[in-house]
Amino acid sequence: MTTPGFTEVFLAFVLVAISIVIGRWWKIPVAKDMALGSVRAFVQLIAVGYALEFIFGLQSTPVVLGVLIVMTLVGAQTAAGRVKKLPNAFLLNFSAMLAGSVITIATMYVCNIITLEARYIIPLGGMIIGNSMNASALTIERLSSDIRSNRLPIETSLSLGKTWRAAAHKYMRSAATAGMISILNFMKTVGIVALPGAMTGMILAGADPLEAVLLQIIVGYMLLSAVTITSVVAVELTVRKFFTTHHQLRHES
Amino acid sequence: MSQTQSLLSLQNLSRQINSNGKDRSIVDQVSFEFERGRIYNILGPSGSGKSSLLRLINRLDEATSGDVLFHGTNITDLDPCQLRRQIGYLFQVPHLFEGTVRDNVRHTCPDITADRVNQLAERIQIEPSILDNPVDNLSEGEKQRVAIARLLATNPEVILLDEPTSALDPARTETIEKLVCKIVSEDGITTLMVTHNPEQAVRMGGETLLLVDGCLVEYGSSSDVVNNPQTEQGRRYREKKLS
Repeated sequence: MTTPGFTEVFLAFVLVAISIVIGRWWKIPVAKDMALGSVRAFVQLIAVGYALEFIFGLQSTPVVLGVLIVMTLVGAQTAAGRVKKLPNAFLLNFSAMLAGSVITIATMYVCNIITLEARYIIPLGGMIIGNSMNASALTIERLSSDIRSNRLPIETSLSLGKTWRAAAHKYMRSAATAGMISILNFMKTVGIVALPGAMTGMILAGADPLEAVLLQIIVGYMLLSAVTITSVVAVELTVRKFFTTHHQLRHES
Repeated sequence: MSQTQSLLSLQNLSRQINSNGKDRSIVDQVSFEFERGRIYNILGPSGSGKSSLLRLINRLDEATSGDVLFHGTNITDLDPCQLRRQIGYLFQVPHLFEGTVRDNVRHTCPDITADRVNQLAERIQIEPSILDNPVDNLSEGEKQRVAIARLLATNPEVILLDEPTSALDPARTETIEKLVCKIVSEDGITTLMVTHNPEQAVRMGGETLLLVDGCLVEYGSSSDVVNNPQTEQGRRYREKKLS
């Protein structure tokens, strides 16, 4: 493979044109989205490329951490958009994502698997935060909707003397599972159904396949940890919004 | 009756909710003392605060003002989970949990003995042979009786029944009414039963409390409250029911 430059990227735009033609031929109303999406992806990624080049050049740990915090804030804002009815949704998502990301990155750092160099920490942090964002949003959304639609069973348990935790346990478990489902499916099928991005990227860039696979395994374990911690923290923080300290299900929940 | 002798006492109990930006009283300054081993019917039109009153006693909701005393102690000073085992609540539409009849009876007390489960089954007139059947196969009447057995498993001193027969046909209604009367007379469990049916209140006997717009407007023996109301609201309620 040739080293890609702007010429190769513009040539690859032929593939976008093919997709738009197919869309029009089949009368799927996505031509506009395809065109806009392709241009947007180009602009965003080029901007990110320049930004990363600049950040890598700075070699400053506070800047790296700042970038990770900004990524988490933006991710939390996006995740909060999916659970608008819940008060403090942004804070819930941010706290859960922060817990998942910080514990995972800190463990990797303490185990000497990664260093705090921007070249490693930003792409890995991006993957961790992205997956935590999805886990957090899915977990909070599932827990909120399950509690709202199961008031009778929950209040029945409470009325019989169960604690709020016992009354909501089934829904807490199910929400945490919902948050983790995509990483669990990924772990089951990785390498068989699809070759993951990090590994594919390294192989395309000329790295030894075994080296790429080892890194991918580490990335997989890292994502599993981040998603698990995020989901559990999201459940623990969210469920308290629905109950009072006197084991009552809030009416406004 | 003095506070210490009373099993359950309501003192100026009120609950307000915010509805469409306005505060509205759904239970308004209700005071009453309930004695041990008696049945009390809570009667009133829809939206008069009957179910809300039971929810306050079970502490599923918090009172805006006033107190509920249980054995003379304010329920806010008691552990809510312990309180609810002593004051059981049966919802209008009982929810049975996934599993068998036995699982449901043991829901709150997983350590309950097999003998006690059989005893409860006998009490609610359910054949011990169906104890291991899934609850999905039960009729509405059987579901209601299983929910009552589950309530009795914790040996409560008070049970709160929210229109337990509203979804049942006359034959099943009669079965539940007889069962409730037996629980009161033989087990000595104080029972507060919400009903919107004055005839049912008379059939159940005991005392009746008439609630209108969240206020306790009349109380006394069930036949007196239903047939010979002393207040204007009581008479209006009777006329409406008769018409």
